[in-house]
Amino acid sequence: MKGKLKKIYKNPMFFIFIIILIFYAPLAIYSPGESRNRGVVTAVGIDKLGDEYEISLLTFIPTINQSFEEQKSIISGKGESVAQAVYRAQIAMGRKVGLFHAKTTIVNEELLQEDVTQHLDYLSRVASLPENTVFVATNKTAKELLSLSQISKSNTGLKLEQIVGFNAENLYVTDTSLEAFYEGYYSDVKSSIIGYLCVEEEGSSNVFASVEKASMSEDRGSDMSQEGGGQQSGKKKESLINCGKSILLKDGKMAEILDVDMLNAVNLLNTKSLNQIIRIKDVEKNGQILNLDYKVLDKQVIKTSKFENGYPVFVAKVNLGINLVEVEGAKEDVKFNTELSDINKEIENKLNNQIKGNFSKAIDMLKKNNADVLEINREFFTNNRGEYLNFIHANGGAENFLRHVTFKLIVSVEPD
Amino acid sequence: MTKYISARQAGIIAFLCILANKFLLLPSYMFKDNKSDSIFVMILLFALDFAMLPILLKLKKEFPEEKLFDILSKKITKPVTILFYMIFGVYFLFKTLIIVDVVYVYLKQQVYQEDFLAIAIMSIIPVVSHAAVKGIKTISRTAEFFLLLVIIGFVTCLGFSLFTTLNMPVLFTTPAKVFFSSIYKYTFSFGDFLVLYLIIDKIKIKKGEEKKLYKFSLSAMVLILSLFVLYYAKYEVTSFMHNDALSDILVFSVRFNAIGRLDIISMLTIMFIALFEVEIFCFAFCDCVENVFPLLSKPFIVAIFDISSLLCYFILIQKYERIVSLFSSWLSYVGIFINYVFPIICLTIALIAYFSRKKYEKLVDGGEK
Repeated sequence: MKGKLKKIYKNPMFFIFIIILIFYAPLAIYSPGESRNRGVVTAVGIDKLGDEYEISLLTFIPTINQSFEEQKSIISGKGESVAQAVYRAQIAMGRKVGLFHAKTTIVNEELLQEDVTQHLDYLSRVASLPENTVFVATNKTAKELLSLSQISKSNTGLKLEQIVGFNAENLYVTDTSLEAFYEGYYSDVKSSIIGYLCVEEEGSSNVFASVEKASMSEDRGSDMSQEGGGQQSGKKKESLINCGKSILLKDGKMAEILDVDMLNAVNLLNTKSLNQIIRIKDVEKNGQILNLDYKVLDKQVIKTSKFENGYPVFVAKVNLGINLVEVEGAKEDVKFNTELSDINKEIENKLNNQIKGNFSKAIDMLKKNNADVLEINREFFTNNRGEYLNFIHANGGAENFLRHVTFKLIVSVEPD
Repeated sequence: MTKYISARQAGIIAFLCILANKFLLLPSYMFKDNKSDSIFVMILLFALDFAMLPILLKLKKEFPEEKLFDILSKKITKPVTILFYMIFGVYFLFKTLIIVDVVYVYLKQQVYQEDFLAIAIMSIIPVVSHAAVKGIKTISRTAEFFLLLVIIGFVTCLGFSLFTTLNMPVLFTTPAKVFFSSIYKYTFSFGDFLVLYLIIDKIKIKKGEEKKLYKFSLSAMVLILSLFVLYYAKYEVTSFMHNDALSDILVFSVRFNAIGRLDIISMLTIMFIALFEVEIFCFAFCDCVENVFPLLSKPFIVAIFDISSLLCYFILIQKYERIVSLFSSWLSYVGIFINYVFPIICLTIALIAYFSRKKYEKLVDGGEK
């Protein structure tokens, strides 16, 4: 043992280890905790207000309290650029901004009038905003949305990320993270879909939370903001509404707001997109005129891409497993009329027309915006590479390809 | 303790050298030129690299106990050998610096969020210097001890990527000209068997143990290729934005509320791999200097490494952009020499020795008869 200790003692590395300990141990022991230097941001809002940018940070600052609630506050800063706004928000916070845990990034519509990547680049590449943050737009300001989300949380227990998460799983179906936005943006077609949450005056349906805006007194950013950053305006009631909308972006700019029906139509070829309600009206059954609601429970899609006479043709065969869930008519109830579940020729035609009509509208909208969120280009590139490359070479590149594609949709419905 | 390392330990050194500077920045850097076809560039470069291994074994067979410096001195004169060793020295010095810089930037982004150069230098230099003084036997034994941890960490990182959305990478999109020019451009990141050439006299390969070298080398290549495939399958067009491949493939998940704490796995794996690589390359640099200046003592040579690496770092590199451009600038010439010229010279020497031996054996047999 003594010999071993002697051996260690004689080793120069031992002394180096001791020297490192002498220098760094006191530093490590007496250095303040991370939380004292860094504010943990859980959501980021970016607004363009005229020529200025406002950053709002939903920040968690660990403090001792007797409840188990997280103390979060919205801290904001304004500047001529996003970087400057973050810098000022940092001053207001008195801490460094830590964006590692930011789960949601919200931008207002005005910001989406210009290429949004020029503002996001700073946050994602320099300020370490994680790319798995969910990217959402709003009709008012991101700051208002964040404030309302906090009130929604305390009133109903519903968190912003849960609302967005629900939409991501059930409505958008496609990934709406910042990474997914970048994937669309940097692809040949430069288009992507992001989520959209509304701030509406109270009175609308689907209200998750409502509050008087005057209670936004926690907003520390308003003190920091230069030219009247706080936007308290009387006692108007506003609510955060999950309207189920989404935004189609082209070249990083807003191209179109998609409502739920349009989004469902765009997602028709997506097998993960289920549970939509298809409503057909004025169906004659059992001598009555009924309105029927069907729920999509299962979906199989076969896609084929080909060139006919030198022009691209995309054929999609969609097989829907549907279930009758509601019958609207004189004293009719689906539970006691199993025969109503049968799909006759008339119902099939109506469903077909409904689905094809919606899909046709969606395709027209995508063609109008040159926005290939259906990845038609990829489909042709994979299956018909030679013809596809020749075609886009002769017809203005991949971006314009969608306009030339003829879509053929074959829908078959059967009770699930 | 014997001064030799076993075939297994030599295989582990080859394994670690093959992983060198390919698992963080290279996948995203290569994507800019070749898109997902970088996978094929890697396969081709690995194949060319792999050809160095049978040449090494042939050379070892013909000169079982001799140092590379002595073999080259005898065959291509001492001044040319010294020139070769100086090129090797530059190669190892820059390879070390590139690894250190890439890992430093990774840790800065992931952990510190600010410069921690002083801490990094103070922690790396003593450990690496000590390992270089102790020699390849110590390094290889330590690496052997931690090998399983490194492999598990690497495979775990790859495995976790399977839980996210993966798409088949779009292949065959790069023009042939760009494809083949990439072989020149990225050649500096290869030449991984050169360390084994330098320590050829210290490797003890028993009969039939050659396959261990092949096994470890192929495993490392498969791991790197798997990383490339999964990384491109995961990120597709945004691959160029994610500079820390092994870390990003594990940490980032497109799933909502992804678990971020798993990054400790990639962090430890990266740190272990980087540490061993830096130790190996530091030792290799010192070996080159030792042969060029045989009168210098080992600690003195290590001090030369420390000073020259710090000088090069502060003068030439430091900025991330510069290191990225270094990959494909004049260092590619060094890479070409090490990957293609040097093995051909070694093969020629080995073949000449082989035929001379055969001729001699024939003469002896003829005389005896």
